[in-house]
Amino acid sequence: MIKSLFSIFRDSTNSFTGQESGEKIILLLRKHPFTILVRVGLFGLACLVPIVVGITFLSYFSAHQWLNLFFFVSSVWYLGFWLAIFYSLTIYALNTVAITDRRIIDSDQCGLFNQKISELHNNRIQDVSVHTNGVIETFLRFGDVTVQTAARDKQFVFHQVPNPDRVKDIIMQITASRHSGVR
Amino acid sequence: MTFPLEIIFNVLVALILLAYWGMTFVILYHLTRFGIGVQPKRFAAIFLLGSVVLSVAAIIFFMNIDINLFTLQ
Repeated sequence: MIKSLFSIFRDSTNSFTGQESGEKIILLLRKHPFTILVRVGLFGLACLVPIVVGITFLSYFSAHQWLNLFFFVSSVWYLGFWLAIFYSLTIYALNTVAITDRRIIDSDQCGLFNQKISELHNNRIQDVSVHTNGVIETFLRFGDVTVQTAARDKQFVFHQVPNPDRVKDIIMQITASRHSGVR
Repeated sequence: MTFPLEIIFNVLVALILLAYWGMTFVILYHLTRFGIGVQPKRFAAIFLLGSVVLSVAAIIFFMNIDINLFTLQ
């Protein structure tokens, strides 16, 4: 019972809203973890503020019996800090590209109530290109994948995805099998 | 003199916690309802656990505050 309850943290069928019957996710992409680690690291600096203030003014707070007030204000600060970190992580986790055996679904989450979903069927894919820019992207192996559709000026760009070459190969493989009628 | 100040403090802290848990609900809902795969569920579990611990800590620290320090003598 408990084992099956906790299984949602281990296995997932990767189901999503609007999934067609029999449709399978082949690849689920998010931005490279480095992109979110940078943001969380910046929040980490804000985490140090109460510690620095506490060390600096400890004797002053003790003398005025403000220590409990300081602890309370610090705990409220950390509540805000916790919320800000997980707001960023939520936006990161909901920004996905799902490559299924039928289509590509690009979900752009700009805020909690601001979402844009674009969809591209595999038989409309014309060309896939990869763009890796800079030292960090090269060493950590992430970059942008651009999918050109049959409509001339329509492009799908997946920003900062890990292993872009592998993503390109998989998309091309799916497209080729779709065009040749193989499922 | 201390009675109204204590009420003001209590209401203020209750509003802060209410706003916090409102926002927490929205984030947890998004992670569990719209998240694909196991990662959003893990984030939701860690977030909920941390929120409970921090909220309890904030309430305990608030209860330890001596309101009389802020009253005009």
